[in-house]
Amino acid sequence: MDFNLPPENDPRRLEIRAFFEANPRPTGRQLAERGYTVPHWPRPWGLGADPELQLIIDEEFDRAGLQAPARLNPVALNNCAQSLLSHGTDAQRERLLPPALAMEEKWCMLFSEPSAGSDLGALRLTARREDDHYVVRGQKIWTSLAHKAQIGVLVARTNTNVPKHAGLSQFLIDMSSPGINVRPIIDMSGNENEYNEVFFDDVKVPADRLLGKEGDGWALTLAQLQTERVALSKAGAIWGTGPSARDLVSELIASGGIDDPLIRDEVAKLYIEGEILRLLAYRTLSDRMNAKPAGPEAAVRKMVAAPHGQRIVDLAKRVQGMSGLITGNGAFEPTNGGRHMFDDWDYAFWFNPAVTLGVGTQEVLKNIISERVLGLPREADPTAKTPWAELQKSKLKTAV
Amino acid sequence: MNFALSEDHELLRDSARGFLDKEIDLAPLLVPGATVKDARYEANWLKMAELGWAGLVIPEEFGGSGMTLIDLTMVVNEVGRTLAPSPMLGVLGGTWALLKGGSDEQKAGVLSRVAAGELKLALAVADSNGNADGPGSDAKASVGSKGHVINGSKSFVIDAAAAGMLVVTAETNGAREWFLVDAEQNGVQVETLAWRDVTRQVCTVHFRDAAAERLEADNATIWPWVRDRILLVLAAESAAGLQQTLTSSVDYAKERVAFGKPIGAFQSIKHVLAGMFGASECANTAVLFAAWALTENDPKASISTAIAKAYCTEAYVTATNQNIQIFGAIGFTWEMKNHLYFKRARANAEMFGSPARQRERVIDILRQKAA
Repeated sequence: MDFNLPPENDPRRLEIRAFFEANPRPTGRQLAERGYTVPHWPRPWGLGADPELQLIIDEEFDRAGLQAPARLNPVALNNCAQSLLSHGTDAQRERLLPPALAMEEKWCMLFSEPSAGSDLGALRLTARREDDHYVVRGQKIWTSLAHKAQIGVLVARTNTNVPKHAGLSQFLIDMSSPGINVRPIIDMSGNENEYNEVFFDDVKVPADRLLGKEGDGWALTLAQLQTERVALSKAGAIWGTGPSARDLVSELIASGGIDDPLIRDEVAKLYIEGEILRLLAYRTLSDRMNAKPAGPEAAVRKMVAAPHGQRIVDLAKRVQGMSGLITGNGAFEPTNGGRHMFDDWDYAFWFNPAVTLGVGTQEVLKNIISERVLGLPREADPTAKTPWAELQKSKLKTAV
Repeated sequence: MNFALSEDHELLRDSARGFLDKEIDLAPLLVPGATVKDARYEANWLKMAELGWAGLVIPEEFGGSGMTLIDLTMVVNEVGRTLAPSPMLGVLGGTWALLKGGSDEQKAGVLSRVAAGELKLALAVADSNGNADGPGSDAKASVGSKGHVINGSKSFVIDAAAAGMLVVTAETNGAREWFLVDAEQNGVQVETLAWRDVTRQVCTVHFRDAAAERLEADNATIWPWVRDRILLVLAAESAAGLQQTLTSSVDYAKERVAFGKPIGAFQSIKHVLAGMFGASECANTAVLFAAWALTENDPKASISTAIAKAYCTEAYVTATNQNIQIFGAIGFTWEMKNHLYFKRARANAEMFGSPARQRERVIDILRQKAA
């Protein structure tokens, strides 16, 4: 057992640091050419990096004052594009990966629908095969980045004669296709929109943009969500991308707020939980280095990390008292010099309710853990085994 | 970076587990009025000593096996999981105090007998207000005609009645000093408390002109070093007890049927258990890091023991209460083991500084760093 992190003079670290010193403002293409945008992928795309090298690269991006690539183009770099390595065609990889890895084309995930969130397998959007293309009709919702993305990863129902999960397929679609209409959702934070509704009005998608085979959609989707949960389980607000308990303690020490014993005890609890969550994140890396398969730890970490992040910004808001109710008035200066909207303490607070909804609601995560880790009885889904088309006729329709 | 246990650690854990599963029987405690002595408290220790557990942390030069705190954690986890009654905690506390503060002569004379299982120690540091950090004025030391003598009392002394020698803190001219005291002399009287956690022996010790041998080192050298190790032990016991609590809760939820299905099929139960699993993962990780940090003398060693003690004991308290709720009323009876874990959790939380007290320490350390 060895909890030492890679040291300051690790040669791998020094090499990356030298590159950033020579290229203080690298382009996405430069980063992609060096394999720095997806270091954990195999060559030629990445570096075949073990988790430790990946950790070093993350730290060196941070030290250089650069945003992590996975944060700039998260859907491609972290969640979904990796599926092309195993399930994509050569043509798909050649067309889609270089601009994605260079962050020249942003991606979005077209998964949730108005009546299919936690029960994603009940989605209704259809893709109907016609000659050399599919015709897509339906609606998606809660799509981050849809208004900025060039490529969408779409889960659609391609077969209505099989049970709900079996009839799904994934497509890599051009967001500029005729018939796609993106509408912003202004959420309760009132800020620039994070999420969108996306409408598909008989959108033609070339058949060669099907990822894998028809019916692979559910397996691909589960794997991508698992990866997303690992990424979004760091110790801090807004899935670990916002202010952390370390930030809050430092601010409260600097401002003297720590002198209040009630605040002190509360922030100490958060600090303790935050430090443990950091260790859990390293443990995940360590497990991967030991070739231990990724288990349901993603769900566990997110279950602990999401409310942890909520409590951090909640305490910061309460410390402000009345003045915290003034729009835009954060408890402290934004973290990281305010490079991203999520670094803002005020925004983070009003975004809070979403953190236990997005990327798996707290309730769904607890079901996953209790069923798949603890072996408790599965939740019965009366719609799971009936062909989709029959469901639409039957009384069970109300359940979907 | 590698968080996995080595093969040696796994071997140590598995052998401790095998031994305790075979030897430990809590059934005698499931009778009202029973005390820890009814659960082979002394006999268990003799067997543990045969396995070398009495000298786990004693260096080889003094007859022990000189194992690391990661090694020790493997054993303590299993002790905590089974609530194995024995004077292990008292012996560990006394051993560490002597290791850090004693002269070579004191160490050679006492520790080899401890390692051999011939002598048991206990650590008497707390006052009647429960404060173990000092200054501690319930006991006072003075210089008599034949050396130091101690008068007064020490409270909440774990395993004192079993111990042949005590390591005692007493006030001398306003300072807290450390002494080695023969527990068998007339000036030492041990009163065993009616302690709620019946898996442990906890006592008050009264001193009347008790002869005492002063340890060489001062309080600032001894106490933080000893305290961090005791906090690790309490955290490790608690994390493992929490994991056992989770296991028994899950097993019961699968077995007990109500409204035509196992109660573990209801989300109100499932979600509590998922939360308990999350707490258990956090607790185990906190303990392993603290054990590693202490073993490596890492700069984070002290804060990591405060973190582990605060988190693990508090999570243990929560889980043992949830466990009784999941069992329902049967879990509230004396004849079930649930209350033994509930009481151990409650006691571990208070011992050597409550979770709230540990959190104060965490903030103190962070403030010093920021200054």
